[in-house]
Amino acid sequence: MPVLSFAPLLHGDYLAWLLAGLRLSLLLTGLTLLTALPLAIAIALLRLSPWRPLRLLGEGYVEAVRCVPLLVHMLFWYFGVPELLPAGLKEKVYAGDIEVVSAWAALTLYTAAYMSEDIRSGVRAVPGAQLDAALALGFSFLAGMRLVILPQALRITLPPLLSQTLNLWKNTSIATVIGAAELMTQAQRVESATFRGFETFALVTVAYLSVSLVLTGLAQWAQHHVSPQRAQR
Amino acid sequence: MPLNRRRLAQALVAAGALLLTAQAALADQLDDIKKKGELVVGVLGTDEPNSFIDPKTRQIIGYEVDLARAVAAKLGVKLQIKQLAVAARIPELQQGHVDLLAASLTHNKEREAVIDFSLTTFVTGQKVLVKADSGIQNLAALSGKKVVTIKGGTQEPNIRKAVPNVDVVTFDTGPQAFQALQQGKGVAFVNDEVSLLDQHAKLGPAATQYRVLDQNISVEPLALGIRKGEKRLKDQVDATLRELEKSGEADKLFVKWYGPETRLKFPKRTFKIDSDKVES
Repeated sequence: MPVLSFAPLLHGDYLAWLLAGLRLSLLLTGLTLLTALPLAIAIALLRLSPWRPLRLLGEGYVEAVRCVPLLVHMLFWYFGVPELLPAGLKEKVYAGDIEVVSAWAALTLYTAAYMSEDIRSGVRAVPGAQLDAALALGFSFLAGMRLVILPQALRITLPPLLSQTLNLWKNTSIATVIGAAELMTQAQRVESATFRGFETFALVTVAYLSVSLVLTGLAQWAQHHVSPQRAQR
Repeated sequence: MPLNRRRLAQALVAAGALLLTAQAALADQLDDIKKKGELVVGVLGTDEPNSFIDPKTRQIIGYEVDLARAVAAKLGVKLQIKQLAVAARIPELQQGHVDLLAASLTHNKEREAVIDFSLTTFVTGQKVLVKADSGIQNLAALSGKKVVTIKGGTQEPNIRKAVPNVDVVTFDTGPQAFQALQQGKGVAFVNDEVSLLDQHAKLGPAATQYRVLDQNISVEPLALGIRKGEKRLKDQVDATLRELEKSGEADKLFVKWYGPETRLKFPKRTFKIDSDKVES
């Protein structure tokens, strides 16, 4: 059996490649979180809307996105959608970091579909009479949601949202198929340069695991300190 | 226990003695080949056009098979083809199960320590495909540009070595990387020459919109493999290859298997069979 040796991976280029990959994976997670969360709230509101066509729209979005694998989303947003851009703009976009932008778009739409369902369940956990009361006091639907329901609902939803963030963090690895130089891509690059596949992926596992454990810890903390009393049980 | 250990030692000594006599019997492989009247050549049989199974006759044919046939004719013996797996090639040769390897074998310095090589019989390499209207004429023009290629092979390190300041985007498969080039998500596509020309040819009429740069980003010489130290056999093999080169037969074989009329459509031969030296 070959001897395990991490030393060649822990200095010079290889470590720099892996760290660059880790940085991009974290960046993708952060960027996606910033865009997916507002989108998820909007979709949840669509699904809760008193107006039927909007509800159907929200429902259609969630089902369409959730029922297709993330891998397909990635390829679609990389090979498909950008081709529809007008010629001049297309060249400009392609000269830039199209791999990262496409991955960001795919992850945002995918994550938002899941997060919107969590937010919707959070909203439904707040007694419906509160919205009725808000409406009776002259609030509009949106104002009642924004000022009365969502502040409570988001606190209830925080633990499942952190769990979705955990999924998002792991899902960034799929971006390797469209050539984004995130952690998986860099790991494969190190593997083919060093033939130390086991050691490389052991390091990568540790990286994914540590970030995931931090997120899990946050979720537990949120469960105890941010969620309303009712939701703790 | 001690008894067992002694028995084991005896067995080892016996096995060693057997090996020694086997080695002695093989002292000169050329004489052995002539005595048994056949040359056993190991081929892959799965690597068109070097050696592959003819769908009509079910026989193994190919460029390397024809070279092996020429060697057998020179020695005045029958050719016996034996199909081998890639990883088994060198061990099979070292253990004497085959006399010669004609198995798409790359000749490199590392392997020189374990076997000998004939003159280089084929030179392949990795090349770069660009859009014809991109204005890129040579490798240097790729500096600072985005190129696409395949993950996990030697393509990425080689293009980075050839063009230090290049931006590389990698994909799981060749067709995906090629599609990224077609869509303009990179200015060049790097791949093994044979696959690259194959993919280029598959475009049909659209192939004229693309061009393969002349420069290789890496060179892979293929050669026949000979067991270490069999100098007389190597002399005969090399002499056969030199005669093929001199008579123009080598060029004909190249055209037959790789030339413009074949699936691979290599426009011309860019090497000569005249050296058994490699650079790396």
